[in-house]
Amino acid sequence: MADVQSAGERFEGVDDSRVGLREWVGFVRQIKRESWGDVSGYLFILPMVLLYLAFGVWPIIRGLSMAFSDYAFLNMNQAHFDGLANFIEVADDKMFWFSLGRSAYFTILYVPINIVLPLIIATLIASVKHGKIAGFYRVVTYLPVILPIAAALLLWRQMFDEQFGYINLILTNSFNVQNPPGWLSTPELAMPVTVSAVLWKSFGSNVLLYLIGLYNINTELYEAAAIDGAGAFARWRFVTLPLLRPIFTIVFVFSAQIIGATQEPMIMFGGGGPENSVYTLGLYVYNVAFKFGALRWGYAASMSLVVGLIGMAMAAIVFRIFRPERLT
Amino acid sequence: MSVRTLDRPSSVQRYLARLALRRGQIITHLILILVTIGCLAPILWAISVSFMGKEDLYRATPSVLPSRITLDNYAWVLGTMTSGNSNRYPQWFLNSVIVTVLTVCIVTLVATMAGYAFGRLRFRGRDAIFYSSVLLIFVPRAGGLMALYEEMYFLHLRNSLIGLALLFSGGLSVPVFIMRQAFLHVPSEFEDAARIDGANRWQVFWKIMMPMATGAMAVIAIFTFIDVWGEYLVTITMIDFPNLYTMGVGIAGLFTGGAQVSFTEVTTYGAQAAGFLVFIFPVALVFIASQKWFIRGLSEGIKF
Repeated sequence: MADVQSAGERFEGVDDSRVGLREWVGFVRQIKRESWGDVSGYLFILPMVLLYLAFGVWPIIRGLSMAFSDYAFLNMNQAHFDGLANFIEVADDKMFWFSLGRSAYFTILYVPINIVLPLIIATLIASVKHGKIAGFYRVVTYLPVILPIAAALLLWRQMFDEQFGYINLILTNSFNVQNPPGWLSTPELAMPVTVSAVLWKSFGSNVLLYLIGLYNINTELYEAAAIDGAGAFARWRFVTLPLLRPIFTIVFVFSAQIIGATQEPMIMFGGGGPENSVYTLGLYVYNVAFKFGALRWGYAASMSLVVGLIGMAMAAIVFRIFRPERLT
Repeated sequence: MSVRTLDRPSSVQRYLARLALRRGQIITHLILILVTIGCLAPILWAISVSFMGKEDLYRATPSVLPSRITLDNYAWVLGTMTSGNSNRYPQWFLNSVIVTVLTVCIVTLVATMAGYAFGRLRFRGRDAIFYSSVLLIFVPRAGGLMALYEEMYFLHLRNSLIGLALLFSGGLSVPVFIMRQAFLHVPSEFEDAARIDGANRWQVFWKIMMPMATGAMAVIAIFTFIDVWGEYLVTITMIDFPNLYTMGVGIAGLFTGGAQVSFTEVTTYGAQAAGFLVFIFPVALVFIASQKWFIRGLSEGIKF
């Protein structure tokens, strides 16, 4: 153990013109003692913060401020703070409620299937022992997810074309159905077909999430349960489901926001379908903002905010139900 | 004891054993094959249609498979047809490539730098900044598209591929999160060794730490590529001139009746299908080739 030396004594005999380790460490320590910490950290995050503030944070703030003003893009001089006038107008807007209903219908059709079906498929894939074959199934189920949404949904629409689409071709040729239905021109059928398109495109994400959860379950737990006499279904119910709880949380939280997220698919299928059967809120907001008359962005933003809050409330409810802290 | 006295499994049994196939699994595989067909059906349909010529389209009883394979649809899409060709597919493909590559480069570089700082450096406000960027994922977005339009309009970044790339680079919450995870898992001995050898911060990052995280960098590059390549809504909002469209927008325009083509063997449906396949080909390729990284990246991201 060295005696405590003064700095002068310590560096006696050392050539001061070289900056050696001790000087450098002392310098860094000095910086750290100051409350800012390591200044180079700020430089490293600078590009990220700039980009993120500009294109991630600002639109959120500006969108919120738009929701409270009567901002019509074509008459830019008239943007003034309107308070809650937008929201009062929203409550009276028949089209808002109608399209919200269509969104709710979409959600009711889409969400339960999108929670249960991927779970079944993920369980099946996880039970496949052969690595490469399981990998093949994984790739195939996730492939629709990565397809460009516009092109994929339009291709799906082509498939359901009344005369030349795949579906009706198979129906007429192989099954000899005389008058195959006009899928996208029948009001009752249009929404389910749209739901199936979005399901096809997105169910792979949930399959993957479930797979990650399933793969992380320790197989010894299954063996222990089997030794204790649990059959296959009991094993699934008491081992798999509880351990998938964090994954369920994620899946449910994201599903709870679907009601506000049905914007892009509808724009693809455009026009709201026969008798407005697929005219969801997302489409209405988009039309108000970019198609109708004075392009009232303030109003569109306020509608967006309302449904966004609904989605957030539902997500919060789900999160409380599923709080993973219950797991030790 | 010789092998001959034991029963040897037949070759069929050995093959099935290699496939790890037991009787109960037959049903599993049957169901999964059905799922596979369901998932791939639209793509298979597109492949079939893209090779169809005129007569297949106007037959009294149309069929699923083309009677005669014609490459004219592809020729039209790829711009190699000589007569009356005013399509802009090659241009659109190039635009897509530009925007996507730019965005991927920017996001990878920026997120890696930030991930390193959040994971390895200590400075005041580090955790506050990081967690607020994560929280912002869950804030409801109201009027996002319109706010973006206004912002790009005032910055004169509309109708610009570079502007589009910058805009897409704004989605940094998830990449930064992943990179931070990656750097947290790198042992700090490397960093200390480099520091002892006299490297400054940037050199430590660029030469030592970053090469250790190339796995995670590949993951976020792939994610970003897949997201940007197929983007439609923001692009069509920001770009008004057809020669600046990306492929996503252009293809969609073809589907919605923008182009009615009727010369030689090219059919509307065929051209749509061919265009679609050309469009998805790069991203499908990237996806399939990167399976290993993909799964790993997603598991990293889920670990809260």
